[in-house]
Amino acid sequence: MTSPTAAPCEVVTGLPEGLAEDLAATALVLARRLHAGGTLWCASPAWPHHAQHVAVEFVHPVIVGKPALPAVAITTTALTATVRANARAGDLLLVIGPHDDEAIADVLGRAPAWGVTTVWVGAGTRPSAGAADHVLWLPDDAHAQHDGRFILLYHLLWELAHVCLEHGGASGEGLLAPAAAGDGPVCITCSDEGRLGEVERTSAGTARVRTADGPEDVDLTLVGSADRHDLLLVHAGMAITRVSPARVTAAGAEVLQVTS
Amino acid sequence: MSFLYPMLDERPVEATALLADLARSAQAKAVESDRVRVSSLAGCAERLDRAATAMAAALLAGGRLLCFGNGGSATDAAGLAALFATPASGSPVPARSLAEDPAVLTALANDVGVDVLFARQVIAHGRTGDIALGLSTSGGSANVLRAFAEARRRGLLTVGLSGYGGGAMATCDDLQHLLPVDDQSVHRTQEAQSALAYALWQRVQAHLGETP
Repeated sequence: MTSPTAAPCEVVTGLPEGLAEDLAATALVLARRLHAGGTLWCASPAWPHHAQHVAVEFVHPVIVGKPALPAVAITTTALTATVRANARAGDLLLVIGPHDDEAIADVLGRAPAWGVTTVWVGAGTRPSAGAADHVLWLPDDAHAQHDGRFILLYHLLWELAHVCLEHGGASGEGLLAPAAAGDGPVCITCSDEGRLGEVERTSAGTARVRTADGPEDVDLTLVGSADRHDLLLVHAGMAITRVSPARVTAAGAEVLQVTS
Repeated sequence: MSFLYPMLDERPVEATALLADLARSAQAKAVESDRVRVSSLAGCAERLDRAATAMAAALLAGGRLLCFGNGGSATDAAGLAALFATPASGSPVPARSLAEDPAVLTALANDVGVDVLFARQVIAHGRTGDIALGLSTSGGSANVLRAFAEARRRGLLTVGLSGYGGGAMATCDDLQHLLPVDDQSVHRTQEAQSALAYALWQRVQAHLGETP
């Protein structure tokens, strides 16, 4: 017999262009959320062991002296329902999987309504811009999930997040202040931007929706009716339109334009 | 790594400097990861060939693959078992992880102790001709070494992946095939172990007549 020629890793190349910067930016946001008391939720419907590996890095650091941080792997098939029940505004959700994973598209599309920051790790065809708050992506390569490069990505995320936490603490916590993230809420009443809300319950032409800023009641006149867990574009106390989670993941912030 | 910045009043400037330093650090670590993986694959080429030949023979004779490890190595064992049992391409073979069932793991840990986590499962499941594959970044995980000893007593083929040049696995009489990573970093070792495990799977598939 002959050995297979497709060696998983034959040359020393480091990270593809831009990925080191993406990792750095993601690590700083991750550190800020954890510093503020957030939890890192991890899921990989296709490869659950990767999600468990991420979580165990944070909960039980291999380097003595690093603090244990709250990270949880979700391995149930009821991914969306589990994150909905457990995640709080200010948490993070890190998913690992291909661009066409339907379970990932559903949960990522709803995360903005829960106030959860999202990170998507994968390889191959890249998700559309805005599919997640942070996309950490390797070039097209069927081997990356097996040959150690996915593991490298989340090892680096863990290492860099701890650097941010240590450095942020030394800087008087200025680096870790949420306001420094530049991702706070914009003025929503005078802009054309709507927000996402997920229906918790309905009553006589109104719905109680869950948004990143908390629950609120919205008028359903424009959308006619709504069912529990429907995702609505909300603006100035009105439900403007119904959107599918997959569309939010595919289109990103574009779906928030009320005038479109 | 050191961060010797002057204390800057302008928070964005400080964040920008930190982000640039983080990116440089990430790139340097990624290059180091590539280096360790490439050198491990090259250094283990003959060991991989011998281990894959023995594993393929066992599988073709009806053997099953049992994978185990602790912590991150437990998740890597689960990933390796999934790769063998449910590959995207190639031939599926019977393989599973002994670190996946919380009922079994907590029963053993609570009633007996963590040293027997895998050995007791080898007693329950292992048959002559099966394969026991253990991962340990230190090479010294007591429950992995005990599982190898139990496996040999029962006529299983034993395969180990380890960091630290092999650690205690390098002198383990019960281990028939050792795939060592010669590095001191747990993280770089795990990345290289994953590359070795994937190369092992590719070689086994070649023996099975597949070219994944």
